[in-house]
Amino acid sequence: MGSRRYLLSKTLQAVVTLWFVLTFNFFLFRILPGDPVALLARSEKLTPDDIARLQHDLGLDLPMVEQYGVYLRETLTGNLGESLTTGIPVTDLIKTRLWPTVLLVGLGTILSAWLGVVIGIRGGWRRGSRFDTTSQYGSLVLYAMPEGWLGMLLLLLFSGMLHWFPAGGYASSTLTGTARIADLLDHLFLPLLTLTLGYIGSFSIVMRSSMIDTIAEDYVQTARAKGVPDRLIRQRHVVPNAFLPAFTLIILSFGFVLGGAIVIESVYSWPGLGLLTYQAINTLDYPVIQGVFLIASAAVIVANLVADVTYGYLDPRIRQA
Amino acid sequence: MGMAIRRSLAAVASILMAVGLAGTARAQSTTASAPVTLRVGVTADLDTDNVWALSGGSDWTVATSEYDMLMKFSSEDLTAAPSLATGCDHNDDYTRWTCTLRDGLRWSDGQPLTSEDVAFSYRFVIDNKIPQYKSYFPNDPVFTTPNATTLVWSTKEPTFGTSTPPWAYIVPEHVWAPYDGKELKEIRAVGQTPAVASGPFILTSWTPGQGWVMERNQYYWGPTPALDRIEYHVYTNPEAMVTALKNGEIDAADGLEPALINSVTNAPNVAVQKVVSDWWLNLAFNFGGQPGSDYTPMPALHDLDVRTAIEMAIDKNAIVNKVYQGAANTGDTIVRPASAFWHLDIPADQEFPYDPTAAQQLLDEAGYRDTNNDGIREDPNTGQPLTMTIPASSDTTGAVQSGELIVGFLKKIGISVDLKPATDAKMNDYWGHGNFDAYIWYWSGDPDPNYQLFVFTSEQCGYYSDGCWQDKHFDDLYEQQRTMMDQTARQQVVQEAQLYQYEQVPGVVLAYPNWLEAYRTDRFTGWIGAPGPNGYLLPTYNYDPWISLKPMTGASSSASSGLPAWIWLVAAAAVAGIVVIVVMRSRRTGVDEA
Repeated sequence: MGSRRYLLSKTLQAVVTLWFVLTFNFFLFRILPGDPVALLARSEKLTPDDIARLQHDLGLDLPMVEQYGVYLRETLTGNLGESLTTGIPVTDLIKTRLWPTVLLVGLGTILSAWLGVVIGIRGGWRRGSRFDTTSQYGSLVLYAMPEGWLGMLLLLLFSGMLHWFPAGGYASSTLTGTARIADLLDHLFLPLLTLTLGYIGSFSIVMRSSMIDTIAEDYVQTARAKGVPDRLIRQRHVVPNAFLPAFTLIILSFGFVLGGAIVIESVYSWPGLGLLTYQAINTLDYPVIQGVFLIASAAVIVANLVADVTYGYLDPRIRQA
Repeated sequence: MGMAIRRSLAAVASILMAVGLAGTARAQSTTASAPVTLRVGVTADLDTDNVWALSGGSDWTVATSEYDMLMKFSSEDLTAAPSLATGCDHNDDYTRWTCTLRDGLRWSDGQPLTSEDVAFSYRFVIDNKIPQYKSYFPNDPVFTTPNATTLVWSTKEPTFGTSTPPWAYIVPEHVWAPYDGKELKEIRAVGQTPAVASGPFILTSWTPGQGWVMERNQYYWGPTPALDRIEYHVYTNPEAMVTALKNGEIDAADGLEPALINSVTNAPNVAVQKVVSDWWLNLAFNFGGQPGSDYTPMPALHDLDVRTAIEMAIDKNAIVNKVYQGAANTGDTIVRPASAFWHLDIPADQEFPYDPTAAQQLLDEAGYRDTNNDGIREDPNTGQPLTMTIPASSDTTGAVQSGELIVGFLKKIGISVDLKPATDAKMNDYWGHGNFDAYIWYWSGDPDPNYQLFVFTSEQCGYYSDGCWQDKHFDDLYEQQRTMMDQTARQQVVQEAQLYQYEQVPGVVLAYPNWLEAYRTDRFTGWIGAPGPNGYLLPTYNYDPWISLKPMTGASSSASSGLPAWIWLVAAAAVAGIVVIVVMRSRRTGVDEA
C-alpha cells in the first residue's frame, strides 16, 4: 500500500471513529436515569411549571433526534453549549481545566514513560540481575497498586504526617510571579509523584518484555557472532526494535492525557478535566459531559492515528501489510 | 551505566532543583506582609456567581456574603432583624407594610442604594418568576417608594410581609434593569464576578474547580470588618481538607464528613462546630396515586398500625451513633430544630418508643402474622408478604447506611426490605414515577415552617409530596396557619400540625444530622453561630461572622505546611552529586562495557 493511500485510509478511519464517538456520547448520557432539570426541583423549589420552562429554555423538551441534530450542528461549529449547572460555556470550562490536566498528566506521562523505558531497557538487557529482579517486582507492585490508594498514602505521609506538601488544591489565585510558580510546584509535587509512580510500571514491563524478545532474535545473535560490541548491539540493534511496542504505548498514553486522571485529581483536588468529568456526571450536566468526552475521545483518536502513521514509518512491514 | 540512565537522573535532578527553588521562593514569599485573609476549605464548589441562578454548592454562602436582604435573619434565633431597613411596620389588617431604609446606603460601585432598588428587586423576582424567591411574595403585592428611604409593600389580603424576612436578595437596578423581562436562561447566564452588591464582601475572582476570592466592600454600610479578604479553596477529597486544616493551610473547613469527626476532635488548635440541624433524614412511605403511575405500593402501608410498628422498630439512636458518629439528633417532626421557635420537640410521653417487641405485638394484634414460617409476615387481607422496596439516596449523607440498619430493624419484626441505593438522579425518577414502597432521602426548608408543611399537603401529590400522603385534617391545619398573622397563635397551630403528622406516621423522621464545621483556634477570634451558639459559623443565614471575626495577635497569615527550603536545596545538591559520580564512574567503565 502506498504511503499516501495508507495515510488517507487511516485518517478516514479516524474521522469515522470520531463521528461514532460523537453519536455514542450523545445517546449514552441521555439513557442514564434522571432529568437534569428536575434534579434541581428540591434545592431550587422548582414547581412543575418552572421545570417545564427550564427544560424548554435548555432545549431538553425537543425530540431526541432533533436534539441530536442541534448537537451535531453546534459541535461542528465549535459551540459545545453551556453547562446546565453553572451556565458557563463548556469551552470556557474546558479551557480552565485544560492547563492543569496537561501539566499534571502530560508531565506525569513524560516522566513515567522515560523512567519506565529506561528501567525496562536495563532490566531486559541484564535479565535476572539484581536490578532486573528488583525493578520487575517494583514495576508489578506499582502497576497493580490502585492510584487512589497510593495517592492517599502519599498524602497522609507527606502532608498529614511530615507536613512537607499541601494537602491538595492548586496555586493560589492571589499570588503572582515566583511566589505563584512556587505555590504551583508545591501543589503539583504529590499528584505528579503519584501519577508517575502509578504509570511507570506499564512502560517498564512492556519495554523489558520487548527487550527480552528482541535479544533472542537471529540478527542479534548474528551481530554477537560477528563480534559487535555489546553497547552497539544494545543501542543499534536491540533498543530501536524493542522500542516499537513501548512507542505505541507512549503515544496512546499521550492520547489519554486530555481525559485527565479522575482518581488522582479527586484525591488531590486538582482542578483538571478528569475532575470536571466526574462532577459533570454526578450532576447530569450533559453539555459538559459531551464536551469533555469529545475532547478526550478526539485526543485518543488523534494519538491512535499518529501511532498508526508513525509506526508505519518506523516499521515498513506495517505499511506493506 | 547507559546514557539514558544518566539523562534520566539529570532530569530528576533538574526537577528537584526547580522544586527546591520553588521552596526557596515560597519561603521568601511568606515573609512579605499580607492582607488579613481568612482561608476557608469547602467540598462544594461554587455553581454560579449569578444571584438569580443559585442552586446548590456554595452558591448561597457567597450570595449571603455579598448581598443584603431588606431585613435579615438574626443570629440569635433567625427572627427578623435590621439590615438595609432599620425596621418595618404593618397596618392593622397586615395588608400594608412600610419599611424604612438606612440613610446613605451605597452599592459597591459607589452608586446610591435606594428604596427603588428594593422595589425593583422584588418586582424582578415576581415578573421574571425567579423560582428560588417567588414564593416569598404571595397575594400579588404592589411595591411603592414614596421617597428614597421608604418602601411600601401592599397586598389585598393579609401577608406576613417582612415579619419573617423574605429570603430574596436586594440587587442594583442599574445593573439588572437591562435584563428585566428577558428569558430566564439569559438572566441566569449573566456573570457577576465582580458583583455590584451592598454586603461586606464582594466576589472578585472565581476559578471553577479551584476556589474563589472575596474582597472587602469599601462602601459597606455596617462596621468595617477586620478581614480584608476571604479565600475559598475547593477540596474534592474530604480527608485532604481535614489534613489542610490540621496543617494550618486553611483556617476553617465547611461541611466535614461525619466519619472524619474523630480525626479533628482531638487535633491541636482545631475546634469542631456541630451545627444545629437544618435538614432531616426521612423515611417516607408511599401511599400511591401519583399521576401516571401504575405501581401499587405495599397495601399494608395504609394501615396506621403497620406504620407505627415500623416507627417503633427503628432504633434512631443507632442511626445517630453508628451512621453519624453522634453528630446528629434523633428525629421526630418535619420542622427542623434550627427553626427553634416553630419546631415541636415531641413530649416524651407522646413519643413512639423504640420497642421492637411492642412493634411485633402491634403487628400480631393487627393480624399480620408469619403464616408460612419464612420469617416474613403476611398481609391478612391480601395474603402477600410484607416486603418493601426502599430506594435510598447515595448523594445524601448517611441515607444508604441508615437504610442498611433499617433492613435489619425491620427484619426483626418480620418485614423484608429490598434496599436500593440510588443517585439523586435516580431518586428523582422514583419520586416522579412513584415506583417504591418507601424511600430514604432528605428534606430541608426555610426558617419559616410554611414550606415544610406545604410539601406534605394533599394537593402536592405528584409534585413535592414524597409518597402522596393525603389527610384533610393536616391540610386544614396548614391552611389555618398560613393566614394567621399573630406569630404566637400561629406557632400553636404549626406545632399542632407537627404533632398530628407525627402521630399519623406518613413517614419516619430518622435523624436531624448536624452540619459540621471546623476552625483553627489560633488564627481568628469572634466566631459566632447563627442561629445561636450552636448555629452556623460560616455565613448561611446572614454574614454576621464576617463582621465579628478578628485576627489573633501574632497569628501567621501564611500556610504552615511545607518542606523547608534548605532541605530542598540539600536534596537537589545530593541528587546532582549522585549524577556527577555516576557519569564519572560510567566514563571509567565505558571501555570495559564496550
